Amino acid sequence: MGEVDAVIEVEGLRKVFRGFKSLKVGPLPIPWGQRLRVEAVAGIDLTVRRGEIYGFLGPNGAGKTTTIKMLMGLIRPSAGVMRIFGGAPDEIETRARIGYLPEQPYFYDYLRPREILDFFGKLFLMPRAAREARIDELLPLVGLEDSQNKKLREFSKGMLQRIGIAGALLNEPDLVVLDEPLSGLDPIGRKELRDIIVAQRDLGRTVFFSSHILSDIEMICDKVAIIDHGVIRAVGTLAELLDSEHLEVEIIVRGVSQEILRDRFASVARVERIGEYSRLIVGEGQSNDALRVILELGGHVEGVVRRRESLEDLFVRSAERRGPAVGEEGA
Amino acid sequence: MKRRRSGAWRFTALRVAALAGNTFKEAVRNRAFIGLMFLAGAFLAFSLVLSSLAVTGQGNRVLLDFGFFSISLFGVLIAIVMGAILLHKEIDKKTIFTIIPKPVHRFEVVLGKYFGMLAILIVEVGVLSVLWLGLLWLKGAPVTPEIGKALLLIFLEIVLITAVALMFSSFSRPVLTGILATGVFIVGRVVYLVGEMLTARGGLFVDHPGLRPFGEAVVRVVPDLRVFDGSQEVLLEIPIRGSYLVSATGYCMSYVLVLLALSVLLFQRRDFT
Repeated sequence: MGEVDAVIEVEGLRKVFRGFKSLKVGPLPIPWGQRLRVEAVAGIDLTVRRGEIYGFLGPNGAGKTTTIKMLMGLIRPSAGVMRIFGGAPDEIETRARIGYLPEQPYFYDYLRPREILDFFGKLFLMPRAAREARIDELLPLVGLEDSQNKKLREFSKGMLQRIGIAGALLNEPDLVVLDEPLSGLDPIGRKELRDIIVAQRDLGRTVFFSSHILSDIEMICDKVAIIDHGVIRAVGTLAELLDSEHLEVEIIVRGVSQEILRDRFASVARVERIGEYSRLIVGEGQSNDALRVILELGGHVEGVVRRRESLEDLFVRSAERRGPAVGEEGA
Repeated sequence: MKRRRSGAWRFTALRVAALAGNTFKEAVRNRAFIGLMFLAGAFLAFSLVLSSLAVTGQGNRVLLDFGFFSISLFGVLIAIVMGAILLHKEIDKKTIFTIIPKPVHRFEVVLGKYFGMLAILIVEVGVLSVLWLGLLWLKGAPVTPEIGKALLLIFLEIVLITAVALMFSSFSRPVLTGILATGVFIVGRVVYLVGEMLTARGGLFVDHPGLRPFGEAVVRVVPDLRVFDGSQEVLLEIPIRGSYLVSATGYCMSYVLVLLALSVLLFQRRDFT
């Protein structure tokens, strides 16, 4: 704790939701008939440094949104320490420096884009002229300058996401926290948002965002943490995480059935179908043996490519190490 | 130090005003509110018909009585409906997710909702009062300052019931909030009877002494809403003294402060999942 350039510091952060029978506690589904405790976040540590784009990656229900909500003061943690800019996250001065986009943002649907941004600006105590100037800047940035006169109830999911992004950038925050910002956007919208996120970093801001869309994180993040079942499974820069230990060789094969390949390489390789071909992915050290076996089986090797492990591979590997974090309490 | 503190309160006031303004906007753009306002107006207009059917010489009395009844009824109804819906809607529709992470204190969110609702009720009571006074003037009924004082008392009752509804809505769902707040309103209107029964030499609490603590608790906790009924004084042409208005305001405010403090405490502890 206490690093000079650390923007978010989290230590031993934990959240346990408790409930009775049919009560819904937290974002996780609870079966009937039991008194339950759900450990949504199981004691995590995180450090996000100034100027980073930090990707918080995990499958649905992994604990991403609960962690973010604890940082944003929406949920009280059961245990642990959180600091943003070295101070408590619930301090007014700290919050004034944060822009936040909730997951699937919901807005006052009786308002128009300019009205909702103006309302948010008032909560940041921005003077009227500054609010108007900033709104004039943001509406074109998120592509909503032509929808200013529509009420938000007429907006599509993607348009609501865009107004949410404008809301998150309204106060020119030093830290931008985005919960699943790319969901609900079409490919062009996603590209535009990725550009906006990178532009925030170029302005010296820190961006912390969660996603389960690996390609987006891989494209723009400086650092990644993978969370699953409330536990951080991996953390580091992409270069650190996708290191040379996990170099793989991709062998494209024709003339041997998938069943035979799966049977023969069950323990050492992944086998995938690509049309009439099969793709065999093996560790670098096993490639010579694999090629020999394929030739012995009468197969034709159509191509051999050495490749680095992808974030998807790392994610799958991390998720495979998962342990249950949901349990019963009492009897 | 003092200066810094006064600055903090000014900032709180600005944020509460922004939140209240948004609550006000939400209500006036809500069809239920507009519908209730039209219904209240129609109710008042109906008093004209009733007054024309009244026994000779009693027409103005019917107009007065029905006017007080309508303004009070619709004020309390709107207070309970808005109190039950507005805060809950904020949580249910998840718009609260965009508010709490902003540089606002949770108590400011509660106060913003409350003052927003009061602003709506000022409009409601104001519009209906002007309409009603216009009807009285048209029918040639005397428009006295006592009527204004009685309307102020009705508004104090609505201010209190709004705080009751907000307090219940900070932990329960709208239907339950509506039932509980309506219950407080009804019991509050007759709580003086419970007080009289407790001092009586016979009756329920003498026949069933086990119920006595319950009766005493009701009298202590539930506000006596009869305090805010000035209609009889107007009808009987008894003046409503300024000192009475001050003490009624103090009575209302003491309840409002306790109810708002409870609402803040309950809201402060909530997780927004």
